[in-house]
Amino acid sequence: MRTTDRAGRAGVIAVLLIAALYSLLPVWWLVVSATKSSSDLFSSNGFWFAGRIELVHNVSTLLGVQDGIFGRWLLNSVLYAVGGAVVATLLSSMAGYVLAKYTFRGREAVFNTVLGAILIPAPLFALPLYLMFSATHVVNTFWAVFVPSVVSPFGVYLARIYAAAAVPDELLEAGRLDGAGEFRIFRSLALRVLQPSLVTIFLFQFVTIWTNYLLPSLMLANDRLQPVTVGLVAWKEQRGQTVPYNLIITGSLLSVVPIVVMFLLLQRYWKAGLTSGSVK
Amino acid sequence: MKSRPFRAATLAMALTSLTAFAAACGSDGSAEQASGPVTVEFWGWAPGYEKSVELFNAAHPGIKVTYSKISPGSKGGYTKMLNAVKAGNAPCLGSVGFETLPTFAAAGALQDATEAAAPYAKEYAPWAFAQSGVSGRTFGLPVDIAPMALIYRKDLFTKYGIAAAPRTWDEYAADAAIIHAADPNAYIGYFGNDAYNFAGLAWQAGAKWFGTSGDKWTVNLNDPATKKVTAFWQDLIDRKLVKTVPSFDTALYKGMGEGTILSDVNAVWDTPILADSVKQTSGNWAVAPMPVWDAAAPATGNAGGSPNAVLKGCKHVKEAVEFAHWFGTDQASVSNLIKETGIYPAALSGLENPALHQPDPFYGGQTIFDVFKESAGRVDTGFRWGPVMTKTSGVLGDGLGKAGAGGLGLDAALAETQAQTVAEMKTQGMEIG
Amino acid sequence: MSPSSVATRARSKVRTGDTPEPSRSKAGPARRRRTDGRRWAPLGFLAPFGTLFAVTFVAPICYALYESLYKLHRSGLGLAPPSEVFTGLSNYTDALGDHAFTASIVRVVLIGLVQVPLMLGLALVLALLLDARRTPFKRFFRLGFFLPYAIPGVIGGLMWSFLYQPDVSPIADALGRIGLHVDFTSDGMLPWSVGNMLTWGWTGYNMIVIHSALKAIPGEFTEAAELDGCTGWRLAWHIKIPMVRPALVMTTVFSIIGMAQLYNEPVIMKAVAPNLAGDWTPIMAAQNEVAANNYHAAATRSVILALVIFVLSFGFMRFVNKRGGAQ
Repeated sequence: MRTTDRAGRAGVIAVLLIAALYSLLPVWWLVVSATKSSSDLFSSNGFWFAGRIELVHNVSTLLGVQDGIFGRWLLNSVLYAVGGAVVATLLSSMAGYVLAKYTFRGREAVFNTVLGAILIPAPLFALPLYLMFSATHVVNTFWAVFVPSVVSPFGVYLARIYAAAAVPDELLEAGRLDGAGEFRIFRSLALRVLQPSLVTIFLFQFVTIWTNYLLPSLMLANDRLQPVTVGLVAWKEQRGQTVPYNLIITGSLLSVVPIVVMFLLLQRYWKAGLTSGSVK
Repeated sequence: MKSRPFRAATLAMALTSLTAFAAACGSDGSAEQASGPVTVEFWGWAPGYEKSVELFNAAHPGIKVTYSKISPGSKGGYTKMLNAVKAGNAPCLGSVGFETLPTFAAAGALQDATEAAAPYAKEYAPWAFAQSGVSGRTFGLPVDIAPMALIYRKDLFTKYGIAAAPRTWDEYAADAAIIHAADPNAYIGYFGNDAYNFAGLAWQAGAKWFGTSGDKWTVNLNDPATKKVTAFWQDLIDRKLVKTVPSFDTALYKGMGEGTILSDVNAVWDTPILADSVKQTSGNWAVAPMPVWDAAAPATGNAGGSPNAVLKGCKHVKEAVEFAHWFGTDQASVSNLIKETGIYPAALSGLENPALHQPDPFYGGQTIFDVFKESAGRVDTGFRWGPVMTKTSGVLGDGLGKAGAGGLGLDAALAETQAQTVAEMKTQGMEIG
Repeated sequence: MSPSSVATRARSKVRTGDTPEPSRSKAGPARRRRTDGRRWAPLGFLAPFGTLFAVTFVAPICYALYESLYKLHRSGLGLAPPSEVFTGLSNYTDALGDHAFTASIVRVVLIGLVQVPLMLGLALVLALLLDARRTPFKRFFRLGFFLPYAIPGVIGGLMWSFLYQPDVSPIADALGRIGLHVDFTSDGMLPWSVGNMLTWGWTGYNMIVIHSALKAIPGEFTEAAELDGCTGWRLAWHIKIPMVRPALVMTTVFSIIGMAQLYNEPVIMKAVAPNLAGDWTPIMAAQNEVAANNYHAAATRSVILALVIFVLSFGFMRFVNKRGGAQ
């Protein structure tokens, strides 16, 4: 009994280690490669450092290319992702809250429309959206990427589930008896209760916007408005004429850092939020 | 979820659609009001273009050109331009290759600039000016043409006992065997998947892919001249005497840097790209004339060259053409483009540009443009492009890639390209004779 | 007021009685102001989302539907600007007759049939292991598995392209040293290579969703089962997995939708795998039509694809719900 137990435990750890290796090896490759010079990148072992660590040099060269456009791209990504996710979270929570806590005509139809929208991938209709935005001169502006980013049917879906579970009717009634208006109740009572789950919605949307490629690549022609994903792919497509390949890899590493930091900061809430969502 | 509410949702969406659609169609683009200098928007991607734009703006207070660097045409840049035309917010000028210009014309994406361009016609190589338009109408002015040559590792050719670069394709194949026999890891060159590089090879062999007779197109992507080219390369691929790698990608430059891929048959604009990609081998390269089929009647190919074309919706055609002309003929601009972009000027005056006569240290101090000048004189000027080249080049590039990876052969790729090109043209309502 | 609420309101008239109204009859005059606020609150709360939803979701779909009914008409050389003509469903018959397009749908469905169960199976196993009481270093493993999700698809594509490219791949190099010669870009390997990119990128995300669901199982359930001698894999199989069924359904549906959107990874990978056709996935095929300036064909393909996804994901949900109800 004891020995099989121990063997089982070793087996569990082995499985976890192999899975971790699988997840992290490419990331490790990215970290290692970002420290290499252009010629070392192709001539040295991909999973270990070359003789010289050129990370600082690579980063400073990268940030100097085209008057520092890379920093601008990172900033753009942060603006699109943080701003978009904050607004999306707010809009979603308002809609989800109302769908959970109010009874009104057509409530189910609205909710079903939202559910249906979750099943339709937005990238499919990015082109028609582009053509429509063109007609109103929105393309090639900050808003062309920002506005679609604040609409998250999935966020509404999550918010409705969270609100149904976490916001007690008594709380709302108590607020109303105190004479508070509906929006005030939402703002000062419901939102507070919902806070941890809102972090989940925020993070989902943050990742969705940060990793988006198709929409911004369609909407933007001005490279100073691009997020970092679009910029890096464009560099790669310019056949190494603008920046050498090793800097594209350094840039890829840098583009991942903010999103990882965001997760490390918000992990605790993220777990709590998801828990209430997925079991219902 | 049950099915009834779901049906309700669908119906709701359908209803919403109508309302929203009506709303979406109501708006209309309004013209921007210009006071002060006329603004000309310009999209391109080649390195060095932005510098020439700056030079122009500094010298012309009346016209302000704003340049955006987009993805290379075949990598999404052309799609972006077409989308912008469809959306009614295209730039005034776009860098549109000779090969894509008829496709843009067929898409209705170009603005007639015949009148504005006519006075400048005599200043360009006649075929380059002609290919900046379609059937008598001019849409832009050419910047460069792209004669091809053999770019090779002189040191390694010598090392393997090859004293002079191959002059004919037969010699190329023989040298390929010598090099590969001497070192099984080394290859004389590579077979890539760049459709337009292949088109240059076919062009050299005398292919006539497209033509018009009266109101009908002729399409012959698998004509005998092209089949001669595919047979030659298929043989080298089958005997593993050339490396098959994706064009312009890391594996190619890794091989070139390590000395396992020894040459590239490519256009003049590739010379700075190559120099940037394998800096560590500087000084070891040289440029020789493109190998020919018949040494007695040498003909070469052209792979690229771009007019700056006036896109549909441009409100300042005259100014746009004025800029395009300056861009391709001004001495300072052309010097910059030769150095940074590696262009071979389409303007006749450009051929006198001192930048063309400077030795290039990467190429062992050779004045490489001499070779390209000779090549330019041997380009068959009767080659014509088709009206659905994005489709044609996409299918051809896929086919070349598959053939290189050992799938169906090159002839199958040609047959597929022919079939899909004809099908696409028919779908779009064009007549084929 | 957003168009969507107009429509839903119109629709709900038909089925009044389904929806309980706030009981107006009991409200005295003194409470009128407050009940008024309550009546109008839903509209106010829904309006911002609803308006933008109509603009960025509903309208583009309608526009695509509209475009799919028209064709460009040319004649002769086709060099004169084309005209737009209404052709009914003819674009649809064209698209369904386009072998490359239907093949791309079949290809993605086949990849999904293998990749989605593999990925979710792996995610479930990892989630269960992380949930087991005696597993060490949980925090490290959880973060490690999750990290790839934070990497944008195009960046993941860039990384894997390098790791796949036969001449530079450190993986192929390492395998070559032990006598295994693998070309990740060969025709036969392509679906597996792309499937691997997806599995790598999304397993951690699915694992977290399932893991959170496991965490939410009340302690009494598992404790009672353990007292009955149900531990380890039996506990997982009989108690835990049935309890996280909704999470598994959700991750499956999202995986189906994700599969259908397959675009970034293969497009990036094409640079190192030229044998990967330009219309390898349905979205690539649609984008190809855009490149060929055939917006009507592109819109048609988008609509067809949306329908296919809808049917597949909705069908899957109905299927599991039916089975769930029978249990």
